[in-house]
Amino acid sequence: MSKDLRNYKLVIWRQASPQEKGGFEQYQVDGISPDTSFLEMLDILNDRLIKQNIRPIEFDSDCREGICGACGCLVNGQAHGPRQKATTCQIYMRSFENGDTITVEPWRAKAFPVIRDLVVDRSSFDRIISAGGYISVKSAKHADANAMLIPKPDADQAFDYATCIGCGACVAACPNASASLFTGAKISQFTLMPQGRVEREKRVERMVDQMDREGFGGCTNIGECEASCPKGISISAIATMKAEYLKAALSGRTESNASDGAM
Amino acid sequence: MKLDSKIPGGPIAQKWETYRSEMKLVNPANKRKFNVIVVGTGLAGASAAASMAELGYNVQSFCIQDSPRRAHSIAAQGGINAAKNYANDGDSVWRLFYDTVKGGDFRAREANVYRLAELSTSIIDQCVAQGVPFAREYSGELANRSFGGAQVSRTFYARGQTGQQLLLGAYSALMRQVDTGKVKLYERREMLDLVLVDGKARGIIARNLVTGALERYAADAVVLATGGYGRVYFLSTNAFNSNATASWRCYKRGAAFANPCFTQIHPTCIPVAGDHQSKLTLMSESLRNDGRVWVPLKKEDCKKDPSSIAEADRDYYLERRYPSFGNLVPRDVASRAAKAVCDEGRGVGPSGLAVYLDFRDAIKRDGRQVVSEKYGNLFEMYEHITGESPFETPMRIFPAIHYTMGGLWVDYNLMSNIPGLHVLGEANFSDHGANRLGASALMQGLADGYFVIPYTIGNYFASYPLPKVSVDHPEFAMAEAQSRDQISRLARVGANGKTTVMEYYRQLGLIMWEHVGMARNQSGLKKAISQIQQLKQEYWENVKIPTETETHNKNLEVALRVADFMELGELMATDALERNESCGGHFREESQTPEGEAKRDDQNFAHVAAWEYKGEGQKPALHKEPLQFENVHLAQRSYK
Amino acid sequence: MLTVRKALTSTVGRKFIMGASGLLLVGFLFVHIATNLLLYAKTGESFNAAVARLWSLGSLVYLLELGLAALFASHIVVAITLKRGHREARPDSYRMSVSKGTVHNNPASRNMAVTGIILLVFLILHILQFRFGPGISEGYSVVINGKTERDLYRVVTEAFKNPIYVALYVAVMLFLGSHLRHGFWSAFQSLGVLAPRISKVIYALGFCLAFVLAAAFLFIPIWIYFDLGAGL
Repeated sequence: MSKDLRNYKLVIWRQASPQEKGGFEQYQVDGISPDTSFLEMLDILNDRLIKQNIRPIEFDSDCREGICGACGCLVNGQAHGPRQKATTCQIYMRSFENGDTITVEPWRAKAFPVIRDLVVDRSSFDRIISAGGYISVKSAKHADANAMLIPKPDADQAFDYATCIGCGACVAACPNASASLFTGAKISQFTLMPQGRVEREKRVERMVDQMDREGFGGCTNIGECEASCPKGISISAIATMKAEYLKAALSGRTESNASDGAM
Repeated sequence: MKLDSKIPGGPIAQKWETYRSEMKLVNPANKRKFNVIVVGTGLAGASAAASMAELGYNVQSFCIQDSPRRAHSIAAQGGINAAKNYANDGDSVWRLFYDTVKGGDFRAREANVYRLAELSTSIIDQCVAQGVPFAREYSGELANRSFGGAQVSRTFYARGQTGQQLLLGAYSALMRQVDTGKVKLYERREMLDLVLVDGKARGIIARNLVTGALERYAADAVVLATGGYGRVYFLSTNAFNSNATASWRCYKRGAAFANPCFTQIHPTCIPVAGDHQSKLTLMSESLRNDGRVWVPLKKEDCKKDPSSIAEADRDYYLERRYPSFGNLVPRDVASRAAKAVCDEGRGVGPSGLAVYLDFRDAIKRDGRQVVSEKYGNLFEMYEHITGESPFETPMRIFPAIHYTMGGLWVDYNLMSNIPGLHVLGEANFSDHGANRLGASALMQGLADGYFVIPYTIGNYFASYPLPKVSVDHPEFAMAEAQSRDQISRLARVGANGKTTVMEYYRQLGLIMWEHVGMARNQSGLKKAISQIQQLKQEYWENVKIPTETETHNKNLEVALRVADFMELGELMATDALERNESCGGHFREESQTPEGEAKRDDQNFAHVAAWEYKGEGQKPALHKEPLQFENVHLAQRSYK
Repeated sequence: MLTVRKALTSTVGRKFIMGASGLLLVGFLFVHIATNLLLYAKTGESFNAAVARLWSLGSLVYLLELGLAALFASHIVVAITLKRGHREARPDSYRMSVSKGTVHNNPASRNMAVTGIILLVFLILHILQFRFGPGISEGYSVVINGKTERDLYRVVTEAFKNPIYVALYVAVMLFLGSHLRHGFWSAFQSLGVLAPRISKVIYALGFCLAFVLAAAFLFIPIWIYFDLGAGL
């Protein structure tokens, strides 16, 4: 426990509603212990603002341990702040020097409209998953789990892609606001697993379609998504998505020409 | 109030099978005529919504987060139990059942627990079919590990993120149904009330957290899967938004609240660092498989660098006190042992409220590579928060509130005493008794959602006449008006109050941790009750909140939840006071053995304590559901 | 239905076109530099002979030119549509934007559009200057194997006696190097052929290739301007 308390100047995006024009406001936050997390610092600031009858800063956060994916903002121009492989809630004030000015902005993308201050609407991600980010099995009796062997390297790699928390940092950090890493990670997870290969063509077709429909940009292979991903998901996911997409296009086995059988 | 557990007859191993075969069914063509509301999208809620939609019911699914994928199940680290016996180490459905009943200190219903153990194997098959990337051996088979409290390796895991992977599996099943149109998703909605029509649960009032609007939803049944109430302690391992409001409002509408005092303290959390802290971070219990828990033998060594303390000066107190289970004793036992050594003044770290969890020997035995493969992300997480690497220096851990075994009372069908109101997962009380075993929460959530509710909901629909109800029914208007009143009352107080919600929330947490925490006694509990009553009164006169009600207002959301937490906290203390025995996570100082171990009182307390709301300011009524143990014989737990 | 046509109009498909056309254009650059290396020779004989051999292919040359034009056109048109999409995807820009540290986020990758436009303008000038520059009728002729051919060597060497052209060409070749540095690797990524392990190899290869090609083109004007071949 450190006794040296620090002072910061915050420059934060304030926007009361989606319709209103937002702008940056400045706040002085004094007496912050370096063991305080970045979001706890915002909590402290908010309590002070409330007492001064100033509207507190709205931001999303939930688990506060880097797994739920709820939090996220640009801190000093970096998605989730200065630390690699961390979410905003995992940033501690010891990462900032006493007297620093900290600029805080919401994720910005057409597909992530701002709701209020730092809160954005990321339901476009849900719609991408809804388009095909699953294996279509029912809740029912299935073959014994060990009836299907999956090589450990494949299972491990599938897991690496499956760790995506859907926070949106990839979109926020991408100069094109592309959701390729998010979409590619889910496609890659299922491509590596035999269960997932059954529906691979339909999945990639629909998910890429949905991604484009939501208004995300395309990928220009800048790699900023990978660097900003709190789970360190590799952009090889994007290459896999592209390969899967082209294979699907050439295979002729996609959604509308596959027979659904008798119903 | 009549509590009928509806446990089917017959030998325990056949109860579920027989009952399932005899249940009433809904004709496939009629299923589309039934609407179900599912509140919560964690393991239980998402799996229930997806499974019921697959069957053909129309499901409306609600979550408070911006996406169903963020439900707090996502944070579960360690694993999920299943009686697969893949390790060939003698596991069986019976053994899992036995361990769970015994681990729960004989305060759970045998029939429910047996069903849970039985369904555990189907869950793993289900999840693998869904593409959940479980850990595997080089052979390509699923890997298992042993987990706190178990002597067999029956825990399936996905590195340290099992909850995440299972939840994403259930979430993807849910999103598939959203795509088919059978599930309608309502994100950023908080359930504020249950609407009863003719005594049956027929809808909810939800607040749209973006617009602040109160919305009415009607259905033929309501399924509550809103998780536990650990945030009543303010500091806990639960997510910031986890809350008890939905359960609490159902309680106030007549649903019985069972065993509210049964809370679980998790032994391996990162210790508290300061007043600013908003939550505690759990380090998976799986760490106890390879890490050894110790404190210095001598008080004067406590502030020393741990690596400089000689082997002979270390007290591996769990291995010493419990030679056969060692570091793997159940959570409640491990937590109390940590408290005991810290009370003796042998705690470590700046606050003296921590013990070491040391991987030195595991690293020496298996190598850094192996340890890193098993616990890499947990070590990383620890280092992120504390700035210390567990590869170099032992972790410091301390118990923290983690799970609540208590919850709304349900029968064998997972239906509460209010017809139509079903409660799943952590929100109900049913399967873990007074203490939950590690890796059993995920199992219960998914068993309830994938394999119990899809059957029992049909039985409900086929058994009761359910005339159509619309949201224009006066009961909806009344419930909505009550919620509106409460919100405007808060906003009125909030305009001129002096103390913020967070300040009150912390105060409540301190009272709860101090008196209704790891060890409880009569005078402390009485004190807690009066302190909470006082705090509550002050809260409603002096809380300061931003007053905008018709928009996104996080503080208002929290203020509503804290108001409920205060009432629930009082009920927890009341229940703890009433239960004058030690069992599982509930340790009454008045009831212990000479060695300081928990002492149960089966004569007087082998029952479920179900509380009935009697109105504002009235003492709730206690109803007892006696527990019969026909298969596992009541015995004092011993992990020596 | 996912037809090839639909696939090629999605963001993923359009990047496929970018990658494929880009790689083919890199192939063209290799053919181009192979001939241009002859400019490093002491006299223009071998260079002019190579040019004459090319033209001896007759109408096939026009076909090749047409194909090349199509490659350029698709690369450019698709790039414009993609860029527009990227802009629309983020209508409000950040006040502050700082990289979190990846080798792929560099001035080369961020400015593909800028270097692309520069290369396009250059391409037009370059074609006007040499492809449609002075020919036999303007007296730039040379006799090879008894036939009168265009003395392109003279056209080039005269041009590069002008310091402005030299500076311009050198500068543009630096942009070409920059464009290729990101483009070569990026094409493979867009074609979906990059496993994490080969990714690094391709990126390194792309860097070498960009360096070699740019350097080879870049030194031609310098070589000619300073008449460095004279000392050989």
